Amino acid sequence: MRPVSLAKSRTVPLGEPWRSFVPGGALRRGSTVVVQAPVGLGGLSLALSLLSEASALGHWAAVVGVDDPGVVAMAELGVDLRRVLFVPRPRGAWAESAADLLDGVDLLLVRPPSRAAHGAARRLMDRVRERGTVLIALSEPRAPWPLPADLFFRVTQAEWVASSRLDARYLTVHVSGRGEAARGTEHVVVVPNRRGRAEAN
Amino acid sequence: MEQLLAVWVESLALEQPDGSTLRNTLSVLDALDALCPFSEVVRLGLYALPLRGPSRFFGGDEAVMRLVRECVLEVVGIEPKLGVAEGLFCAELAAQRELVVPLGSSDAFRRAQPLDVLGRKDLTTTCQRLGLHTVGAFADVDPARVGERFNRHALYLHRVARGELSEMEGQRDPRLARRLALLRGEEEFFEEQQGFFGQRGASDDRADAAAHRVRRRLGAQAVVVASLRGGRGPEDRATLVPWGSPQANVRDVAPWPGQLAAPSPATTLAHPVPLQLRDAVNRPVVLSTRGTLSAEPTTVIFSSPLRREIIWHAGPWPLVERWWSRHRRRAHLQMVLASGEALLVVAESHRWWLVGIYD
Repeated sequence: MRPVSLAKSRTVPLGEPWRSFVPGGALRRGSTVVVQAPVGLGGLSLALSLLSEASALGHWAAVVGVDDPGVVAMAELGVDLRRVLFVPRPRGAWAESAADLLDGVDLLLVRPPSRAAHGAARRLMDRVRERGTVLIALSEPRAPWPLPADLFFRVTQAEWVASSRLDARYLTVHVSGRGEAARGTEHVVVVPNRRGRAEAN
Repeated sequence: MEQLLAVWVESLALEQPDGSTLRNTLSVLDALDALCPFSEVVRLGLYALPLRGPSRFFGGDEAVMRLVRECVLEVVGIEPKLGVAEGLFCAELAAQRELVVPLGSSDAFRRAQPLDVLGRKDLTTTCQRLGLHTVGAFADVDPARVGERFNRHALYLHRVARGELSEMEGQRDPRLARRLALLRGEEEFFEEQQGFFGQRGASDDRADAAAHRVRRRLGAQAVVVASLRGGRGPEDRATLVPWGSPQANVRDVAPWPGQLAAPSPATTLAHPVPLQLRDAVNRPVVLSTRGTLSAEPTTVIFSSPLRREIIWHAGPWPLVERWWSRHRRRAHLQMVLASGEALLVVAESHRWWLVGIYD
């Protein structure tokens, strides 16, 4: 074990509004977070907003498999673009690319191009646990992440509020997981709001 | 604009190889700091401090200038040239001519300067052929005419000439503050301040190593980094370049007039996808030259047979760009589909393109 990983904190910070929804108010290193949303209904915004606090505080993040990341939206969410590596089109090698990045970043956002194979997901989650990274897997109900996650954010409803332009989107998110989170709670959050940020309703 | 006292110390302007220039620069700065805490080194040889506060404290502009002169003389053994004017651009010119420009006269002072103070030979020559000899005459030229003839940098100089910008590009040495901090042994401060740009930490090296591994696996273009630049729509503002390319650290977050307001789409297509908008009777919706829609769009067709119902739309917000070279007329339109998805589309040359998905 390298001394540097021992010196690291056991968690990665999580911003508002998510902080108050998860046990410990932070993301545990080595854990896997799954974000599931129907296509086009806020899953990507939600997953990116999970990166923002840690990124702003100096942690590195990588985004694998998001073909055309909305860089401006990320900046609006509070992500520090100077510390984000993108692998937009990993083709068939999304799991291998993700594994390559594990040692270099604290947060790893992955969107598998189709349904993730059980074996690939298992191996990736094992390595994440070993390396102390946080894995955020973005999936759809049609192609769910094949394994249970430590934290599970499920978007059940998305509604836009618009005036003369798009103002805000209210997402109904079901948060569940292992241990303390097992109970499962439902929250309405605004992602993005009028300034492009995530906030509590 | 703030009245500045510019201090020009010729002997410190050229860096000596023995490092004495930087040490002396620091000593002069410390001495000036004792007079006014807002003193700064603009670049080697040039210092500036706001005049109003110290003037009130020491009893007048002359008193401050006398103190500054003594202070520089004591530290480096030569008298500096002093000048007072509003804004750094005018203050430096005043210092070179050892002038005190009275409050409110800086505009006239700037306008009376010969064109070569803007430091661009081609611009000076061309303007002189057109009969424009002073900064003021150049300032009165319509910006559109300047844009027709010169590049973006000249438009920038034109803004300096008009007094919209108080300092010129290249007047400041952006690396000097950090070098002085290093000399003082305050490196950590800058590491924290600058992060990725300045001193690199262990985590940056680990990220680099990880990026290398992915590149070996997938090729040189596989890992990209992002930054923002000026522009109207989110599709213009995002810059994605392969990791390790030299322009990766460019960052521009200056305000940009007419920018599409937040929130921006979480997916911004690098290659826009053509689509069609249809009205209630299935006629194509087009953008008129006046920037209005020919009819209310009710259906979007991605590629037949994929059709979706539009339940709400806003816009079009027209963008007319580069009016001096080529007509490029675009308009943004936001829409929400019956399925709940929100899209950002652009009309350009009579066609519609999908540029962003709020997913």
